[in-house]
Amino acid sequence: MLETIDLTRRFGDVTAVDAVSITVPDGLLTGFVGGNGAGKTTTMRMITGVLGIHAGRVLWQGRDITAADRRRFGYMPEERGLYPKQPVLDQLVYLARLAGMDGRAARASALELLERFGLADRAKDRVEKLSLGNQQRVQVTAALMTSPVALVLDEPFSGLDPAAVESMADLLRERARGGVPVLFSSHQLDLVDRLCDRLVIMARGRVVAQGTADDLRGGSPQRFRLVLDGDAGWVRGVGGLHVVDVDGTSALLEVLDPDVVQPLLREALSRGGIREFAAVVPALSELYREVAA
Amino acid sequence: MTAPTNLDRRGSTPAAPSDAAPGGRTGTGSAWLLVTRREIMVKATDRSFLIGTVVTLAIIAGIMVLQVVLAGRTSTYDVAVTPSATTIAQQVRAGAAAIDEDVVVDPLAVPDDAAARAAVLDGSADAWLHRDGDRWVLTTKDGPNDSLKAVVQEVVRSEALRANASAAGTTLEALERGATLGTAFLEGDAQRAELVDALAFAFTFLFYMAALMFGVTLANSVVEEKQSRVVEIIATAIPVRHLLAGKVLGNTVLAVAQMTLFVAVGLVGLAFTDYSSLVTSVSGPVVWFVVFFLAGFVSLACLWAVAGSLASRTEDLQSTTTPLTFLVMAVLFGGLLLEGQWQVIGSFVPPLSAVVMPIRLLQGDASWPEALLALAILLAAAAATVRVGERLYRRSLLQGGGRVTVRQAWRVEE
Repeated sequence: MLETIDLTRRFGDVTAVDAVSITVPDGLLTGFVGGNGAGKTTTMRMITGVLGIHAGRVLWQGRDITAADRRRFGYMPEERGLYPKQPVLDQLVYLARLAGMDGRAARASALELLERFGLADRAKDRVEKLSLGNQQRVQVTAALMTSPVALVLDEPFSGLDPAAVESMADLLRERARGGVPVLFSSHQLDLVDRLCDRLVIMARGRVVAQGTADDLRGGSPQRFRLVLDGDAGWVRGVGGLHVVDVDGTSALLEVLDPDVVQPLLREALSRGGIREFAAVVPALSELYREVAA
Repeated sequence: MTAPTNLDRRGSTPAAPSDAAPGGRTGTGSAWLLVTRREIMVKATDRSFLIGTVVTLAIIAGIMVLQVVLAGRTSTYDVAVTPSATTIAQQVRAGAAAIDEDVVVDPLAVPDDAAARAAVLDGSADAWLHRDGDRWVLTTKDGPNDSLKAVVQEVVRSEALRANASAAGTTLEALERGATLGTAFLEGDAQRAELVDALAFAFTFLFYMAALMFGVTLANSVVEEKQSRVVEIIATAIPVRHLLAGKVLGNTVLAVAQMTLFVAVGLVGLAFTDYSSLVTSVSGPVVWFVVFFLAGFVSLACLWAVAGSLASRTEDLQSTTTPLTFLVMAVLFGGLLLEGQWQVIGSFVPPLSAVVMPIRLLQGDASWPEALLALAILLAAAAATVRVGERLYRRSLLQGGGRVTVRQAWRVEE
């Protein structure tokens, strides 16, 4: 498990990351969301040791992280960067060897991943000849090829086409199933919602929410949509409910007391019939707007 | 030089090869070697680097060949003479070699003045030597040839003097007694002095070229890594000092190899020229030059890497490398211009000493102990720049956005 405790980083007078404590459990995909300048990248750079820590700690398996631990992490920085003029495979092997892998194993691993991304035939091309999306796949390959014990990926999905997003998502799920903690940041909230087991939401350098999507939704009362044959105005008179909105035959309700649900439905049936009664799951983007506001 | 075995400053323990993790992983101990190897491979397969090396070698070889050709070339002049001038023509022919070793004069016998004039006009003769009243005239088609003119004039003059002396009842030798000026050298000789000047220029210029060329490449490759964020991936894997050490080492190996190649070709070429007898006597100073080059280059290379790390984009390099460009130019002008007392002082002041001391050794002005002292000072300076450079490099490398000043890099919290 990867954790940070009160991680803090200042740039001059600005505190970019302020006492950030997050948990990235083994075997789960943890999505890291937040607007530009929220402090996601800075936090990730401190976790990987690329940036100095001004206060707080990074823990790996419950103890302070060491450079040797970090060497076995897979890290993908925010801006796509590789040596533009070096051939893809040479470059991947070089980076893997720096991370301590032996040359032959590095080669095999790189080729296998390139194959998966459909880039095996570009292995000898210079990186600068590849499209941006393909460069990014090479970058992901660089992060994954050393069989890392943890993955820290800054915006791994940006710039990928839908097919590539799917193969990347599969790859990350696969790594997580292998027991690896995976932390990745993204601006694509729907994707994070679909993919992630856990979420960390940052705003202005602080963590504003974290947990499973259900945990986060659990914070707000359960909402239901009730659609009747006749006018729904009468629900305003029912106790134990908070009526968010009524629009003709349709009402949006927050159930404050679960015991009122059955009487409510009986009442509705007696008044002429129910067309729809469904729980409304707020989209992540709504949650995000609420907590990050 | 720096084969870093020290701890990573981030407060970690170095991973010794013995604590290799499963999966065939090795420690960071030899990471600098991987970086060095990459630097060398990338540069050694870079077309412009290879072309530059070959062109420089061709220029050096060309200079040598030119020396040989110029030294071995003699010019033969056909001089038309009528029967009345045969005697003087034979005297010119016999005396030419003693006056100018590169000039050979062949008299061409012609029956009369008209034939002589025709021969000069159609090019079968280079000149026509004939009597006009009480003087001799050398007629050529257009402008006079200086070498031929000098030879003919000298012979004509001494023959006339000999005849006049004889008429006056004395001899040419008696007339010229006490009128000659010879030259002598207390140290070395004229030929050696010429060679020393040429070599001093070559040393200085080669150092300047290498320091600038490899320096700019190094700064560029540092900023390339920083700009593309590759450095972040590398910094997760290995201590940044290994990256710096590998880059400096790789470029130093290439620079020294290139320099050794140039110098070797130069020395071999020298053996074919008139200066061949001096090859052994300048070889010692040449070896000193390579040693000083190595020490001077390493200290400058570290600074170039720092200049690269202070920039955040390639466009910033212009401003971050300016102080270094001036420093390297100072070394160039120091090597070319310093003389006397100033040269002695300069030969101990790094990085000037990297070229000035080998020049003094070449000129025979400096002793071995002096050379060793200068080398020790240069190495100490190199060690200091490596330390300061490493700190600045490490701190500025991972600062995002905008260029970093030296002061910021020095003070910034890691």
